[in-house]
Amino acid sequence: MTLDPFTVEVIRHGLSAAAEEMSLVMTRSARSPLLREAGDLSSAITDAGGDLVGQGRDIPIHLGAMAYTVPELLKVVSVSSLNDGDVLIYNLGALGGNHLNDVKVVRPVFVDGDIVAFAISLAHWPDIGGTWPGSYFAKAIDTFQEAMRIPPVLIATAGGVNTPIMQLLKANVRDPEACEGDLLGQIAATKAGERRIVELCRHHGIDVFTAALARLHDLSEIEMREAIRELPDGIYEGEDYLDDGGAGGEPARIHVKITIAGDEATFDLSGSADRASNFCNTTPFIARSAVAYSARIMSGREMQQNAGALRPLTIITRQGSILEPGWTAAVAAGNHETSMRIVDAIFRAMQDAIPERLSAGGTTTASVLFFAEPRADGSWKMLYEVHGGGEGARHDRDGVSATRVHLANTSNTPAEVIEANYKIRVEQQSIRRQSGGAGKYRGGDGVVRSYRILAPSMHLTTCIERMVIPPFGMQGGQPGETCRISLVRNGANVEIDGKSNLVLQRDDLVTIESCGGGGYGAANEVSR
Amino acid sequence: MSGLNREWEVGTDIGGTFTDIIAIRRDPAETRIAKVPSRPHAPVDAMLEALEAVGLQKDQVKRFVHGTTRVTNAIVEERLPKVALIATAGFEDVLDIARYRRRDLYRLDIPPKSPSLVPRELCFGLVERLDHEGNVLKPLQDLEIDRLVTWLKQTDVQSVAVALLHAYANPVHERMLAERLKAIVPHVSLSHEVNPEAREYERTSSTVFNAAAMPIAVEYLSELEQRLPIGPGLQVFHSAGAMVPIVAVKRRPLVMAMSGPAAGVSASVSIARQLGTPRMLTFDMGGTTTDVCLIIDGQAEMADGRMLGDRPLRQPMLAVHSIGAGGGSIVRNGPGGLTVGPQSAGSEPGPACYGRGGTAPTITDANAVLGYLNPETRLGDRISLDIEAARCAIAPIAEALKLGLEETALGIVKVANATMARALRRVTVERGIDGRECTLLAFGGGGPMHAAGMADLYGIGSIVVPNASSAFSALGCLTADFSFLQQQTFRVALDGIDLVRLLERIETLIGQASEPLIANGVARAEVDVELVALMRYAAQNDAIAVPFSLPLNPTRLRDDFLARHHELFGYATAESCVVESVRVQARRPSTTIVDRPTTAIRKLQMASRRCTFDGGHNVATAIVDRASMQETVVGPAIIEDAWSTVVVPPGWQAKPDAIGHLFLTKVTP
Repeated sequence: MTLDPFTVEVIRHGLSAAAEEMSLVMTRSARSPLLREAGDLSSAITDAGGDLVGQGRDIPIHLGAMAYTVPELLKVVSVSSLNDGDVLIYNLGALGGNHLNDVKVVRPVFVDGDIVAFAISLAHWPDIGGTWPGSYFAKAIDTFQEAMRIPPVLIATAGGVNTPIMQLLKANVRDPEACEGDLLGQIAATKAGERRIVELCRHHGIDVFTAALARLHDLSEIEMREAIRELPDGIYEGEDYLDDGGAGGEPARIHVKITIAGDEATFDLSGSADRASNFCNTTPFIARSAVAYSARIMSGREMQQNAGALRPLTIITRQGSILEPGWTAAVAAGNHETSMRIVDAIFRAMQDAIPERLSAGGTTTASVLFFAEPRADGSWKMLYEVHGGGEGARHDRDGVSATRVHLANTSNTPAEVIEANYKIRVEQQSIRRQSGGAGKYRGGDGVVRSYRILAPSMHLTTCIERMVIPPFGMQGGQPGETCRISLVRNGANVEIDGKSNLVLQRDDLVTIESCGGGGYGAANEVSR
Repeated sequence: MSGLNREWEVGTDIGGTFTDIIAIRRDPAETRIAKVPSRPHAPVDAMLEALEAVGLQKDQVKRFVHGTTRVTNAIVEERLPKVALIATAGFEDVLDIARYRRRDLYRLDIPPKSPSLVPRELCFGLVERLDHEGNVLKPLQDLEIDRLVTWLKQTDVQSVAVALLHAYANPVHERMLAERLKAIVPHVSLSHEVNPEAREYERTSSTVFNAAAMPIAVEYLSELEQRLPIGPGLQVFHSAGAMVPIVAVKRRPLVMAMSGPAAGVSASVSIARQLGTPRMLTFDMGGTTTDVCLIIDGQAEMADGRMLGDRPLRQPMLAVHSIGAGGGSIVRNGPGGLTVGPQSAGSEPGPACYGRGGTAPTITDANAVLGYLNPETRLGDRISLDIEAARCAIAPIAEALKLGLEETALGIVKVANATMARALRRVTVERGIDGRECTLLAFGGGGPMHAAGMADLYGIGSIVVPNASSAFSALGCLTADFSFLQQQTFRVALDGIDLVRLLERIETLIGQASEPLIANGVARAEVDVELVALMRYAAQNDAIAVPFSLPLNPTRLRDDFLARHHELFGYATAESCVVESVRVQARRPSTTIVDRPTTAIRKLQMASRRCTFDGGHNVATAIVDRASMQETVVGPAIIEDAWSTVVVPPGWQAKPDAIGHLFLTKVTP
């Protein structure tokens, strides 16, 4: 067998193309606006051992967490029990999970009777049962209140879709018809991935394919080690805070101690707060995902984000903490809020060592507003809307307004689509002027969006961070403005919390003002 | 008097480096081809020079069709005139907000998205409001229009984009503005005309692009009309793969955004029909990009739009997928592996082997090292090849990899082919078909050189290198149908559909699409109409194209939709479905036939060169003159004409037909 560098590159292209094709199939056939408009889905391909080797251009937090989706599965499901054509579905936190809404559909790919790879399609289901429509319950005491928990079960086999399991799932979600369409799309996506992987194996031979995957891991490892070696050895500490969820409802601390030694780095997160009293807990997999993203940014290099890139990194979380709270803790919000705070803490730790590679604090919150309207038949119509905000400024430019940062990259739903599909009128969507922090370079501005309720009643979930602790400035720059949420009912302001579940009335006006990014450098320094 | 001499039809394609021209006369039959250097600042001069180069006077020209990337280049290079945007009050920041999404996941050094094309001080919020069904919630008052007019007068813009919320559902307010605005600014673009479809950001972006292109297009097209006064025979090629009269383009310059690539695809469509090839993939490899498109049963696939940079341009157009890899793409060998592009050496300095100061290794340099390029070739009398420079450029990579120079060059070509194969995969996947069943149609500078290697990688067994492959887009300008296209959002559920009302609306669309043709002297009876419903499940976003004919049968339409959905995604359900939009294409089929060109023949100096292929290093390789080629040539061989090189590797053979197409097939499995 020969393995030249060109074949490795050819196979790398093939894997990326396959993952991108999976996301394309999923987006184009999806039913839920969250998937088709906002694109809250990701695709990946792993090697036979479950280590990630190919991914689409999707959502970094998903891609990071999917590194654990198959390895953790293979600890509880034996490879020998899997057959060609099997497709598994699961969402449990313990199996490389993040939050229950993110449902993984996994297909082992067989060539000549052996598994050569796995294809993973991850999608955020807009609702997966539980206490409140949308499965984000701010006051959840545990994950059982949040949503349906799915252990690895066969959703399809070579014979086709496993109807009893499909029925079980549909019976436990609030928009069963959309759920079925989305899930069939996920299964179709893994099928598309399988087709491409089999083609690659047939063209190059299984041995070459397998060796190339191993080589891809090695190449990323080499690149990451070189990058770490360039960083000055030492210990770097940083922290940031979640608005609440700490003891007595106080802000919850996220702390990191980074040790750079030669070509290896340790990220010790055990100084972070204890298990949170709200749904901002998260899993160690999400902590790892956030570290993997940050390490990639710290490296300042282009590299393939695969398991090899993680090898030089040691990531420590503390049992009983907000980042390792046990498998039954409520975790819905931690997926996109707490994870981002880890990135913030790492950036603050490194800000004096490599400021030119980083940015000031940005809109590190998904700023979710989730609207749910009951239909006559008892099912629900749901809109999960994220809000972009200001990007943190950098050493050489202002932050950009109205964008997503770091681990997130989902979109808004256009006002014209919202109005055509929901009993909501979008009365305003504008840039929130002057909300970015001042500095030599200014932070980007947030957005303002107002929703008028036209239905007799509608359920609302808010999941917004950075309402108390603002995005930080860097090197003397000012912090950005904090997020604000308001509810006007019958001409009067009604108090509304950033993490809440409530019922709206006709004519209510909900307005979100998302946060601005932090500035970079003191404002009296002259920018060029 | 001159009317008697007007017997030539001329197609030109204005590219970044060269302006290609092809001229055809029927009786006596003659085809002439030439290339002249493009003049970015005086495109009309270059067109007239090209006309001279094929030995024609202006008064010998009956029809002159041109394709140009002038509009696209202006957009991509951001050389656009100032435009004002009129949006619904409360939505003025629509371009700044965009869709939030950032373009690169892991790079903080580049801004996550491009700034708005319209600065904040040129955005005006107009007090008015419609809902999604087109009902007027807040009427547009005369006083408000006065306020707008006063504001507009104190700006010095020449072009205005109007994009009001839900204008696709009811254009009443946009139309009210149009009359008043046209009295004070020369150019007005209305969103319901440019792109009558939902989603405010995408529609606004498209309308602003149109507004920005208008002053450029009008100025340049007026100059052309003045200097080449041949009346309605003067036509422009549009992105949807047909030609349109100039008067229509002046109002909607966006229709020529993908003019050049679309012309190449149209020429391919003619060949697919001529040869009866059911599935064809076009492979147009140029200096910086490679364009591919899928042609099924003689019809090119259509798309609803594309991104220009990270800004959306929504217009029905040929589904040409472009990737940033071409002959000038730079090869990089980093610790993370070997990659090709997207950085390009461009035309200045160009690949190292062009001998104009380039030192970075490119794909063209790898081809030069392999012996594929004729060292005596001079491109456009400006570029002579320096093979030694190519070897020097590739050498550092070979040393780093501890491989031979030829072996390294072969590897680079393989990686380049893998990069381009992704584009082929993309267009076939979107249509849910297996690319290996397709015939590859290779043209452009690099297409015929890379086609066989790419086909091997992809599993394709047959390739066509068309006659006139080097001036192929210019040819497409002549062989395409004369047509116009109209698309509109209907968004009606198929269950319980009001057939009478629907048919009325379709008839109106047919009228709108046919009108420009009839105005240009095409008889109504000559106009063919093709109808496509863009359909989706009620809960889906992306609609898929389902052709239909009149009288409309809803049951049949539904069945066809389910079949297509199954073909694309592998399943179909019983959910209710929606006709999102209807697209009407009115066309008069082309009758132009092209013979083997009588120009562009060049005597070959060399009959053999040493070339390297996968599995054979430094092999004595026959060099065949394409113009005089009659018999089947078995690889390894290089087939050359003045402008292009066809590589026939070992295991492949090439066979010419009477009009000069080359058919490459695999002889060994």
